[in-house]
Amino acid sequence: MSLNTLAQALVSGALLGCFYTLMALAFSMILGVTRALNLAHGDLIILGGYLGYWLWSGSGLHPLFLVPVAAAALLPLALVWHWLFHRLPEPRELSSLVLTFGLSLLLQNIMLALWRGEYRLIASESLTGSLSLGGLRLNQGRLIVAVAALLVVGGLFVGLTRTRWGRAIRATSLDRDAAALLGINVDEATRTTFILAFGLCGAAGVLFATLHYLYPAGGIELTLLAIVLTIWAGVGRLRSVLAAGILLGVIEALTLAWSGPRWRELVVALMLLGSLLARSGGLARGWSH
Amino acid sequence: MALLEGRGLSMAFGGLLALRGVDIAIEEHQVVGLLGPNGSGKTTLFNILSGLLRPTAGEVWFSGCRVTNLAPWRLSGLGVGRTFQIARPFAHSTVLDNVLVGITFRSRHRYRRTLDRRREAERLLATVGLAEKAPARATELSLGERKRLELAMALSTRPTVLLLDELASGLSPKGREEVVRFYGRLKERGLTIFAIEHAFRILAHVADRLVVLDQGTIVAEGRPEQVLGSPRVVQAYLGDDDGP
Repeated sequence: MSLNTLAQALVSGALLGCFYTLMALAFSMILGVTRALNLAHGDLIILGGYLGYWLWSGSGLHPLFLVPVAAAALLPLALVWHWLFHRLPEPRELSSLVLTFGLSLLLQNIMLALWRGEYRLIASESLTGSLSLGGLRLNQGRLIVAVAALLVVGGLFVGLTRTRWGRAIRATSLDRDAAALLGINVDEATRTTFILAFGLCGAAGVLFATLHYLYPAGGIELTLLAIVLTIWAGVGRLRSVLAAGILLGVIEALTLAWSGPRWRELVVALMLLGSLLARSGGLARGWSH
Repeated sequence: MALLEGRGLSMAFGGLLALRGVDIAIEEHQVVGLLGPNGSGKTTLFNILSGLLRPTAGEVWFSGCRVTNLAPWRLSGLGVGRTFQIARPFAHSTVLDNVLVGITFRSRHRYRRTLDRRREAERLLATVGLAEKAPARATELSLGERKRLELAMALSTRPTVLLLDELASGLSPKGREEVVRFYGRLKERGLTIFAIEHAFRILAHVADRLVVLDQGTIVAEGRPEQVLGSPRVVQAYLGDDDGP
């Protein structure tokens, strides 16, 4: 591998990693606040992508305008999920797996019925083309997606650290009972978390649809990536999720540059296994309270 | 009139009856000690009184209002404070930040400005003798200091009644005495205190009343000298005092 190929892989991997961060944050936030694993996470992103695709093909608007639209469109589902999660019996970690596996299948079949099994892509001309930067070629679409993802993640970071509702969410995520005893309305914090997380899923979906072909069963892979990143980073740790996202993007890009697309999924699966064995700290930290 | 009251409180976990019709009344400006062997239902009673658990039967009254099944944050807003062990993640924040949570989220005596909130947090830390530890992480505190932080956090919601869960346990005899003496100071400031404490002989010095719980029922209740004066109660329910 030449030095240039290596640099190229590093940069485009890092750009992709920003998107991964956006995608994983929603999963991590819900896990933190509710102790429930949302296996339908990837399917919600795909749904956001389909909504974006549908609006884009109908209106021809620039995909970036559709990001907030798709985010808003998923909000009613946030309330449905919140209502369902509120009724999960203990142990929540386990019962959430069963519930959300069912929801995942349901979403997949709804999408299959609505959009059939065809592959769809938001192939906007405004996203094609590439920029040249010091000998490196940057894919313009990937760059735009990375900037958009970083803006959303940055906004979320400010919201979670500087605002009252953000502090409430973080405290609830750290220790639900303690937060409630200190006067925090943890039910409200949970609802806000679902609304934010589903907004993130919708936004991530549109961005995803500009990078990858959509198909109804494509969500599983995204759920897997979100789980890997959450294990690496620990629940609700924003900066660690960003670092883990970029790391994953880079590793994936290096694998692609090294061996082509054949090994990509295998490498991600191996990383999941490896991180589970090496770090009991990530997910377990979220579960320990 | 009792400030905080439980009427006929029962709690069943599956087939296990943790509380069987407990009647308890905490009078205003008193220090009441709750004693009893492990598994007697003390913490369950606290969890119900602070809203973390809903009783299977019975009612909770606070200041003349029925508050059964009210959410913990609503009770906290009304003036019921409670200590709890600081969980690991909270422990990674600074001591000051831990105290700021309650000040920020209480529904009464709210401050709009960050500076005012900070000042009150610092004042609370000074009250419990942790002023110098404000920038430290809670994980860096010694056990005794951590207990003080728990107390400062409970006080940060400006409660009128404070439920204290084994604040003195695990401390040195001197540390225990210090903590329990502190209850007396809190009472002088107008607080009402309901405390679970193993060190019952120390508690007897400051308590107005002791209540002994066993297997979910109250088996003895009265002035400290009455309760501790009965060798049967001490032997049967309290075991060895871990106090000096």
